[in-house]
Amino acid sequence: MINSSSKKSVSAKSSLYIFGILILIILLCIPIFIKSANWLQIMILILWYAGLTLSWNFVGGFAGVLPLGHAAYAGVGAYVSTLLFINSGLSPWIGMIIGGIVSALIALIIGIPTFKLHGAYYALASIAFVESIRMVVENTNEIFGIKVNGARGLLIPLEGHAPILFQFGGKVYYYYVILFFVLLILFISYKIQKSKLGFYLVAGGEDQEAAESLGVNVTYQKLIALAISAFFMGILGTFYAQLILYIYPLGIISMVLSFEIAFIAIIGGRGTLFGPILGSFILVPLAEISRMYLSGSRFLGIHLMLYSSIIILVMLYMPGGLISIFERLFYPRGIDKLR
Amino acid sequence: MLVKNIFIIKVFFTNMLGFRCLKERNDTMVFLDALLNGVLMGGIYGLTALGLTLIFGVMKVINFAHGTHLMMMMYAAYWVVELTGIDPYLSLIVVIPVAYLLGYFTQDLLVNPILKKEADVREPVGVLLLTAGLWIFFNNFFLLLFGANFRSAETIYSGTTFSLGSILVSKPLLYAFIISLISTYTLYRFLKTTRLGRAIRATGQDREAARLMGINVFRIYNIAFGVGIVAVGIAGTVLIPLFYVHPFAGDVFDIRAFVIVVLGGLGSVPGALLGGIIVGVIESLAGQYFSMTWAAALIYIIFLIVLFIRPSGIFGFEKEG
Amino acid sequence: MILLSIQNLSKNFGGLQAVDKFNLELNEGEIVSLIGPNGAGKTTIFNLLTGVYPADEGEMLFQGTNLRNLKPYDVCKKGIGRTFQVVKPFLNRTVLYNVTVGALLKSANITEAECEARDILKFSGLISKKSMLAKSLTIADRKRLEIARALATKPKLLLLDETMAGLTPTETEMAINLIRKISKEKNLTIFLIEHVMQVVMSLSDRVVVLNYGKKIAEDAPLNISKDEKVIKAYLGEEYVVTT
Repeated sequence: MINSSSKKSVSAKSSLYIFGILILIILLCIPIFIKSANWLQIMILILWYAGLTLSWNFVGGFAGVLPLGHAAYAGVGAYVSTLLFINSGLSPWIGMIIGGIVSALIALIIGIPTFKLHGAYYALASIAFVESIRMVVENTNEIFGIKVNGARGLLIPLEGHAPILFQFGGKVYYYYVILFFVLLILFISYKIQKSKLGFYLVAGGEDQEAAESLGVNVTYQKLIALAISAFFMGILGTFYAQLILYIYPLGIISMVLSFEIAFIAIIGGRGTLFGPILGSFILVPLAEISRMYLSGSRFLGIHLMLYSSIIILVMLYMPGGLISIFERLFYPRGIDKLR
Repeated sequence: MLVKNIFIIKVFFTNMLGFRCLKERNDTMVFLDALLNGVLMGGIYGLTALGLTLIFGVMKVINFAHGTHLMMMMYAAYWVVELTGIDPYLSLIVVIPVAYLLGYFTQDLLVNPILKKEADVREPVGVLLLTAGLWIFFNNFFLLLFGANFRSAETIYSGTTFSLGSILVSKPLLYAFIISLISTYTLYRFLKTTRLGRAIRATGQDREAARLMGINVFRIYNIAFGVGIVAVGIAGTVLIPLFYVHPFAGDVFDIRAFVIVVLGGLGSVPGALLGGIIVGVIESLAGQYFSMTWAAALIYIIFLIVLFIRPSGIFGFEKEG
Repeated sequence: MILLSIQNLSKNFGGLQAVDKFNLELNEGEIVSLIGPNGAGKTTIFNLLTGVYPADEGEMLFQGTNLRNLKPYDVCKKGIGRTFQVVKPFLNRTVLYNVTVGALLKSANITEAECEARDILKFSGLISKKSMLAKSLTIADRKRLEIARALATKPKLLLLDETMAGLTPTETEMAINLIRKISKEKNLTIFLIEHVMQVVMSLSDRVVVLNYGKKIAEDAPLNISKDEKVIKAYLGEEYVVTT
């Protein structure tokens, strides 16, 4: 009896691995088959959201809190690297790292007081922060002589194909860059899940008092997760800036984007390794396609209607997210392995 | 959101009706003007927050879709007025039952199932996400239905004022304030004295004990949500002569409502009115002496400060855990 | 050897003196019970020891370290483990996961912690349920899990808060045996709060009685049952039989 069920889980596991490797190969080869800039852009956006949601997942998934203002950190990263590039010519590659660090620091400053708040209050505070930061930036034209341009935003100077300056002539380069980032974040997620930090985060999220009685400094663990999360959000913010070559507060320091990230991650499967990726791969294409075929101001929010209606359904009928369908298929007895 | 900024400008101009001839008047007049308008506007903010505080007080749930419900009620009142031409205040006859049904069934069909599922979870995040989902969904759904146009209800009250010395006060603003006071008082008395009101308060204080007393807790939740949306409906209706109606109209009020509820105490009806007036005054004075956009940012900052220092608010009795 | 020395411990909650100048010394290897009527302040003492509440006054010296102003996770690191009166398992995780979290405190990595957790589960008789989700356990097993989880942190002192409440007589027997086993084989000191007298009498080396936050008696189990003050506190004046 025991033998047959463990054989089943071994073959289930190995088929999962094969499936994963197949997907990876397909992803690596996509630019060979898709040459159209439009479709490549969509693929890039899908992966960008995958990266954002995976980063969100460190805090919103593993740690069990509900941040609804996470895009602020992407915005910080974007602005830091862009300002550094415009004002001192520093390559956005380096600016990206600096932006990530600044994001992480700001996240810690915000996180220390906010982690004391319970669920709903924390969510409200995170919204208040992203909106405040956005409004402050929108109202700031210049700071210490550096032009920030307020609500009008910043244009990144066009350099053409300049890999050293994080600008490329063709979408295909951006594609591989974002693919690399996503794989990196995924790898780090995996490592954390299987680490002391991961276990402690989940325990702290489940029952803070019980975890503390077992020697877990829950707030400290959450702050570590937050710093890592914000760092990657910052990096992805810089990527976006270099992709679009124009940033403005409403576009990146956005409550709506924060909601999108949270919704996609949760629809996919909060706290799981592949949930956010699944969510991005299903929802972002739908959003982009609807954007392509339905134009006009009335339809500006169609993709948001999509995300929000699905989150409502997920909350009612499938709180574990879409990935729970896969979990039930492969691990009928218990799902502790995947989460 | 660009639309929000245009909104704020509309508020500003409405308030402007209260003080013309700026150059000729002295500083005290300007200050009193701003103060008065702040109080009146604050009363309306308090009215919008009544529903939110009631819903939180009873169900311990923060309704993220609050602003959206307000927006929907504004549209409801708007269409009643546009299609039938009746006095906006009379449209309450239609709006109130619609609001009640909307609230009742939202709770019954959407919120209750999740609350039941999450019975032994410490923090009902599922409901939070549900209401956040409703917020985003209906905002964009109304965008789809009605377009982004800023609609203005042409009523006999719009733009009318009367004078108090050398201060001009917008009539619909004053009427709205009076209705806010009446509504707050009515709700307060309802909760304090009627049987149903006491059942609602009991459920809010201790769900299990209320159940043991024979109260059908989930039905009370439905009723409470219904009443909460009625308050929002009244607020939406009195706003018609004052504000543009558009799909994102509710969002401005949303954050102010949250600030007010946290400031005044979660679950406290008088706290909502008081908190509203405080927010209204601060916003008006900040808008007068700094700028409208900084005033908006100030609201958020105050919110954060209150959250960190006194989460239970001025009147609130929030139980931990 | 004195493991824990509590002197003049006091805590006031908004006018109610919950703990009033409590004194106690625990020696290594002892099993000491803390009993008293409901609301006497027993769990409060646990909460003061483990840093959940800050003490108003008094000293708590554990192996030479002052426990005052330490956070709960630091107290655990010093070597004190505890269970909760209302059990708090990580409901949506497996039994093995629950204990592994405890074992992580003194383990270098996950593999080592899991190994240690399995040993503890075998010791506690829960190994067959290691892959079950905590929320599907019976109350008796949940209490056992709570003890196992605290054990995994390799404490020197174990605080057990009413672990016998709500158990059937058979389950109580099994729990008593487990605690005896822990005391002998793990070389731990155990300080337990209990209402079930059978447990107190059969396990304890010493019994401390608390009433209205004050210690009213401290003696061997048999003497406690005859102590006038104790009888008065529990049953009232009329039941004191003067000999």
